[in-house]
Amino acid sequence: MQVEKFYYDNRIVKNFAYATILWGAVGMLAGLWVALQLVFPQMNITQYGSFGRLRPLHTNAVIFAFVGNGIFMGVYYSLQRLCKARMFSDKLSNIHFWGWQLIIVAAAITLPVGLTQGAEYAELIWPIDVAITIIWVVFGWNMFGTIIKRREKHLYVAIWFYIATFVTVAVLHIIRSGQLPYSWLHSYSWYSGVQDALVQWWYGHNAVAFFLTTPYLGLMYYFMPKAANRPVYSYRLSIIHFWALIFLYIWAGPHHLLYTALPNWAQSLGIVFSFMLIFPSWGGMINGLLTLRGAWDRVRDDVILKFFVVAVTAYGMATFEGPMLSLKSFNAVAHFTDWIVAHVHVGALGWNGMLTFGVIYWLIPRIFKTDLYSKKLANNHFWLGTLGILFYAIPMYWAGFTQSSMWKQFTEAGQLKYTFLETVTYLKPFYAMRSLGGALYLVGVFIMFYNIYKTVKKGSLVANEEAEAAPLAKEYVKHSGEHWHRAIERKPVQFMLLSLVVILIGGAIELIPTFLIKSNVPTISSVKPYTPLELQGRDIYVREGCYVCHSQMIRPFRSETERYGEYSKAGEFVYDKPFQWGSKRTGPDLAREGTGNLKKSDGWHFRHFREPSSMSEGSIMPAYPFLMEQNIDTASTAAKINAMRSLGVPYDKGYEQYANSDLMTQANSIRINLKIEGIQIPANREVIALIAYLQRMGTDISKNKTATYNK
Amino acid sequence: MFKFIKQYAEQIDNIDIYPIISLFIFFSFFVVLLVMVKRMKKERVETLSNLPFDNDELTNSNFKNA
Repeated sequence: MQVEKFYYDNRIVKNFAYATILWGAVGMLAGLWVALQLVFPQMNITQYGSFGRLRPLHTNAVIFAFVGNGIFMGVYYSLQRLCKARMFSDKLSNIHFWGWQLIIVAAAITLPVGLTQGAEYAELIWPIDVAITIIWVVFGWNMFGTIIKRREKHLYVAIWFYIATFVTVAVLHIIRSGQLPYSWLHSYSWYSGVQDALVQWWYGHNAVAFFLTTPYLGLMYYFMPKAANRPVYSYRLSIIHFWALIFLYIWAGPHHLLYTALPNWAQSLGIVFSFMLIFPSWGGMINGLLTLRGAWDRVRDDVILKFFVVAVTAYGMATFEGPMLSLKSFNAVAHFTDWIVAHVHVGALGWNGMLTFGVIYWLIPRIFKTDLYSKKLANNHFWLGTLGILFYAIPMYWAGFTQSSMWKQFTEAGQLKYTFLETVTYLKPFYAMRSLGGALYLVGVFIMFYNIYKTVKKGSLVANEEAEAAPLAKEYVKHSGEHWHRAIERKPVQFMLLSLVVILIGGAIELIPTFLIKSNVPTISSVKPYTPLELQGRDIYVREGCYVCHSQMIRPFRSETERYGEYSKAGEFVYDKPFQWGSKRTGPDLAREGTGNLKKSDGWHFRHFREPSSMSEGSIMPAYPFLMEQNIDTASTAAKINAMRSLGVPYDKGYEQYANSDLMTQANSIRINLKIEGIQIPANREVIALIAYLQRMGTDISKNKTATYNK
Repeated sequence: MFKFIKQYAEQIDNIDIYPIISLFIFFSFFVVLLVMVKRMKKERVETLSNLPFDNDELTNSNFKNA
């Protein structure tokens, strides 16, 4: 057959590589900054730089900007070579590249301004969600176009991982983004309370699975054999790894919600599947490491292999720890603590970071037709990175363990031994050490930046790399007794559909019953919708990212019910859009802030917002003086009430017309309370709404102790 | 649209048996997968695992089957 000549597009790979490095540095810098804010709260500069707004910026930048561009860099390089074809369309490649960067810039502007949907890793507002959908389709179109015009009959395992990533992220993103907009920048979640929580962690966990894991496994299956110059250890194992992983992962989300108000059956399902995940994950890790069989001597000299070994080892550690943390007994200790922060950073810094660096060092010299500027600098980067991970993770594990045991300790008289604040101030040194680890890691990234800059200067980009291959035979005769999987491997669209079915089954079985079976969320008759002022206050709570540090979920442990009050019930959250259970307690739980022994006066809250350490000495919470100057956005009240009503919150018809007068009445009563406590402030300030919300929290249940549960 | 689905799904008796059925389906899926993978021919596995490399000897043996 006539051999065809064609050209690989290296320019797009270069663009994504540059973006990966740039956004990596930005995202990690943001991470270092927020880490330092926990040690030096004075670093919360203005409202745009407060922890609650910057922490989502850090997570979004690292996940979607650093790892996102890293995925595209690796996919655009390997897909072309594995398909023996140039990308389907240069135009689509460019739209994809620039579209993605614009989305990142939009995120970097909107998050500090306080525009957020208040769901972890899904904070971006609805217009950006729409843009992400469009650009993701462009990426998929370009990828499938390339696969269809390929010159290699079989789809290598890396491509399966790319296809599964594409299809699953699309499904996750669309379902999580279910929002009803009430203005050009704001919206409310379609789901509420427990359902919102389940959707959120079904999404959140699978963002880890299908954005941080499967595409990177695809990269591992391509770049690891390339760097080691030998095929993957077991191709058979990779087939099992793939199917088992994508099937099991999609079920695992509820392990983020153990001991919460989520129905028990969903929690159990999450535990079982999370535990089983250890098998495919370790299968994959072993497959990666054993690819180096007979080449271990080279690991000593080859810095790229070093990066890969640490990356795959970190993958193994994180995926061992994950199933363990999904067991209820471990989870009871680790959840809400810094342990989880350590866990995710082993994944992000170790697995994603080190693999990305390895790929960059491997690929940049190749597309620039030169050698790496300095192996020594790359080695320094490797050691700084590795030490950085250790200096980061060890203090955080320690902090998490300490924190949890301090929360749970009782005196002999049966009282809690430590106040929450004591546990916070005790952890400060650990936070400082963690910042050091992060700083070391970041210095490594800067060294890479310089090394790559020098390498690029030294070489010149081969924008269009020549290659040759025979085209695929048009007619293909299936021979009898052919392996079914082999047939699938040739058909990308069928392959995608099969992966879609596999992931939809898990998703559907978890989500649909929660929506359908009413008894899953027992209603509590005393739980009423928020007043307009409380609703405005809640939206401020969401805007400021309070959920980043405060949970609203009291688990049924004595140590928690003693500290915070009655444990949380599913029925309490039916009007919460979005739910704000949180996932980390840097500060105390707030679910019953307005009731019982946690109740404080309006004046206490006011002074606490103005200067937290004036009320709680040693507090690391940011100060919120701007809430005393900004006015409540009363113009939006009617639209908010209307939107909530269309989402099923029982506000009376026409209530939106006099909601604002109710709002002012309630605000005035708080203003008067504050005046009695010696604080003069107009009733229309944001802090008043936020105080109203905090004072409401947890009161519904205590109003009516004999609340009827309607099954 | 959701209401539409909901109406029907609520009428299904014993909807709770669905998870068990699906678990069974996938358990069988994995058993079949394991058997198939085990029975793959050695040369074929080698061809596939060599796809990332340009050493065309192995890769091209692929085309002979076509």
